[in-house]
Amino acid sequence: MAYQLYRNTTLGNSLQESLNELIQGSLNTYRFCDNVWTFILNDVEFIEVTELIKVDKVKIVACDGKNTGSNMQNE
Amino acid sequence: MISSPLLSPMEEEPYLEIYLDQCLNQDEPASTSSHLFSPIGPYDAYLHISSNQETLASHLEPSKDTSDFSSVDLSFLPDELNQENIEQTFTEGKEGVEGNHETQGDPSRLQELSEKNNNDICTHNLSLSNSGLHQLSDGTSTLPSPENSNSSFFPLTSMTPLTPMTPVSEGSGIVPQLQNIVSTVNLACKLDLKKIALHAKNAEYNPKRFAAVIMRIREPRTTALIFSSGKMVCTGAKSEELSRLAARKFARVVQKLGFPARFLDFKIQNMVGSCDVRFPIRLESLVLTHQQFSSYEPELFPGLVYRMVKPRIVLLIFVSGKVVLTGAKERSEIYEAFENIYPILKGFKKA
Repeated sequence: MAYQLYRNTTLGNSLQESLNELIQGSLNTYRFCDNVWTFILNDVEFIEVTELIKVDKVKIVACDGKNTGSNMQNE
Repeated sequence: MISSPLLSPMEEEPYLEIYLDQCLNQDEPASTSSHLFSPIGPYDAYLHISSNQETLASHLEPSKDTSDFSSVDLSFLPDELNQENIEQTFTEGKEGVEGNHETQGDPSRLQELSEKNNNDICTHNLSLSNSGLHQLSDGTSTLPSPENSNSSFFPLTSMTPLTPMTPVSEGSGIVPQLQNIVSTVNLACKLDLKKIALHAKNAEYNPKRFAAVIMRIREPRTTALIFSSGKMVCTGAKSEELSRLAARKFARVVQKLGFPARFLDFKIQNMVGSCDVRFPIRLESLVLTHQQFSSYEPELFPGLVYRMVKPRIVLLIFVSGKVVLTGAKERSEIYEAFENIYPILKGFKKA
């Protein structure tokens, strides 16, 4: 017996996840098209062992595949 | 073909009042149903389904004088309910739902929108709260009860002698809160989903998995499924007005991308509400006595599924006393269903 109201919440759950990130974190926009994810983040800190890099805007372009490729562009 | 172009808040108000009149006249099914069917032969069914506004407009004049809720004095309502009304109108009027203090991305546009919607949201909320709450009498009948529906409207004060609608039973005093509204609208033009996904912000498009663009906006916090046919589903809003507002915002996004989007046949398909009766419930006994309506399989799902016949609402009832109501097309159905179930649940209170 499939409860239709739960199909609703599946959508609602993904909504919660995305928008929580939007509100709490610094995710400005996201996009998914042709299996490519594009994220734009604001006010990001990249923390390496030695260095700390602060950036106003970061664009992350990520695609997946057998040999996972991930590109990062800082602005 | 009957289309419903975007109405300004001014034009929408009379329709809201008509809807409220129908709520009031619930005990006169003959007259209510006559509102829905106009005497035009072969198009009866079509009119009934898609043009509530058309038939409602024809009845605008006669029914307008029986009830005007915009000037109702709510001070007699118990404090928590009154507070609720004020909070609802306040937050929705400012478009800052649930303390969302994020700065608006497009302040001028949203400002204009909030001003436009302030009027109809405020009156809408007041009116809807009234029509929903008139059944929640605490021994004193509130707004015009069905018996008095034909008499003139009395301003209600604590001094006014009132005969209770139903002398024995009181209202529950609990108002279910709407949690989710699902609505659909037709943008009436073919859409290039790839173009939308590439140019719009906050969009996902994975045609292999699902043949629609999934787009989200922050205010109101909603998600839309946009199909290449031009049809759109909007979910996640907490009220009817917010759902409509969100759908319009999505339509505008599509329009700005260069498509001739319109806003046809906006319809609310489902409403979900929830509340708490504040006492534990004996689900086992409930399923025994209400077998034909209930199904309870604790190994499958911890809640009892109660399928109410009138109104046609599904309720999920949990041991803790929390209740979820779904399947409504109108807010009043949620309220009515809860008022129906409350006395039943009281009879199955634990310990």
